[in-house]
Amino acid sequence: MAGGTVSLPQLVDWLSRFSGLVTENRTYLTELDSAIGDADHGANMARGMTAVMEKIGATPVAAVDELFKSVGMTLVTSVGGASGPLYGTFFLRFGTTAGAVTELDGAALGAALRAGLDGVVARGKAEVGDKTMLDAMAPALDAFDAEVASGADATAASSAASSAAAMGRDATEPLVARKGRASYLGERSAGHLDPGAASTAYLFEALSEALA
Amino acid sequence: MIGIVVVSHSPALASAAVDLALQMVAGEKPAIAIAAGAGEGVTGTDATKVAAAIDEVAGPDGVLVMMDLGSAVMSAEMALDFRASNAEVKLSSAPFVEGLLAAIVTAAGGASLDDVDREANAALVPKQGMLGSSEPGSTSEAPQVEAPHVEAEQTEELTILNPDGLHARPAATLVSALAGFDAKVTIANRRTAGKPVAGKSLIGLLSLGAKAGDVVTVAASGPQAAEALEKVRELVTSGFGEMGDEVSPFPDLRAQP
Repeated sequence: MAGGTVSLPQLVDWLSRFSGLVTENRTYLTELDSAIGDADHGANMARGMTAVMEKIGATPVAAVDELFKSVGMTLVTSVGGASGPLYGTFFLRFGTTAGAVTELDGAALGAALRAGLDGVVARGKAEVGDKTMLDAMAPALDAFDAEVASGADATAASSAASSAAAMGRDATEPLVARKGRASYLGERSAGHLDPGAASTAYLFEALSEALA
Repeated sequence: MIGIVVVSHSPALASAAVDLALQMVAGEKPAIAIAAGAGEGVTGTDATKVAAAIDEVAGPDGVLVMMDLGSAVMSAEMALDFRASNAEVKLSSAPFVEGLLAAIVTAAGGASLDDVDREANAALVPKQGMLGSSEPGSTSEAPQVEAPHVEAEQTEELTILNPDGLHARPAATLVSALAGFDAKVTIANRRTAGKPVAGKSLIGLLSLGAKAGDVVTVAASGPQAAEALEKVRELVTSGFGEMGDEVSPFPDLRAQP
């Protein structure tokens, strides 16, 4: 990674890999969602990220903020479920914080990801432990920040974030859902992974792969 | 008149709910815009559609947004970041079908955004009363439908003639009829001995639980008290135009001839 920065093509590669992961695993995500939700998370995310990749392919962008505004708005209009406004807000805030630049260093990437997380919290009003995507995203960001603070570059930080997101996802299994459609199930939501946390783990897996 | 935005996962659900509510409105209707579904035939919601719907009906009196569930709420909140108009917008926490009915009828009567929002929020009170989960005529969950205390200048006792009682359609007719009068009208059900409710409140009227044969006490004050009372008498004694017709609990749901 030249000069320890993340380039615009690498960010596009992140999105492409995320699209690939949710599309390959759409059936798995929908199975998770059929256990505790409305059985559409895989289809929604695959459709949304496919629309994102089509949009990016059709209208190349020159800066990070422009790229993620396009990504966020495309998700908002194409996903349908709560993941639309949630991932949409994540990417919109990511872009706004990153700004009109063409590359990000580790700290700037961390700040943009953190802004995205803050956006998800503001939009969904969930807390860690509510059995939502936040349960993968919050530990991922904590791991990312800790790596950067200890002098690691974006690649190492993303790798740590990916591992933490996967652990956070796995830790949602025993939780009782307190937000979203799954919360209607109460205690019966325990014993299943949260589909939003699962797709968020793919988001950080994709980032780690794109920066490897 | 305020504008109303209807947000639903399903275009079919939204348009059916709006149709159901509009059957209660005889005269001028509020501006209503539906934002339902996402993408091409996708069940879900889209914040940009909600924003466009808000802008479509935005006016000086404000906009009330009614939502079904889940992402509808999140999309409506996000739409507030996207909309171009700067009209006052409130997101209603009312139940979708009952709240929409209350909102549309109340808005059609020219009520303010705050009043329509309060009326919609109280929309479950009549159903709770009917099912015994709260005392009929009691307005403890919804003090807003309770009539403000006014010194009644004129009162009259009238017997409800409609076989189905003061149900949604006649109640909506009464709300619309009273909207034009500069008068405060309250109505109480003597049988239940509940508190008087505002005559301009659909939810208040429905919460009376007034059945055929019940005697209601109508009190009116204000500059047009006499005219308002006369209008109420005319409507109640004529069975709100339902008498002599084939009687059904939901007469408006039949195909119109």
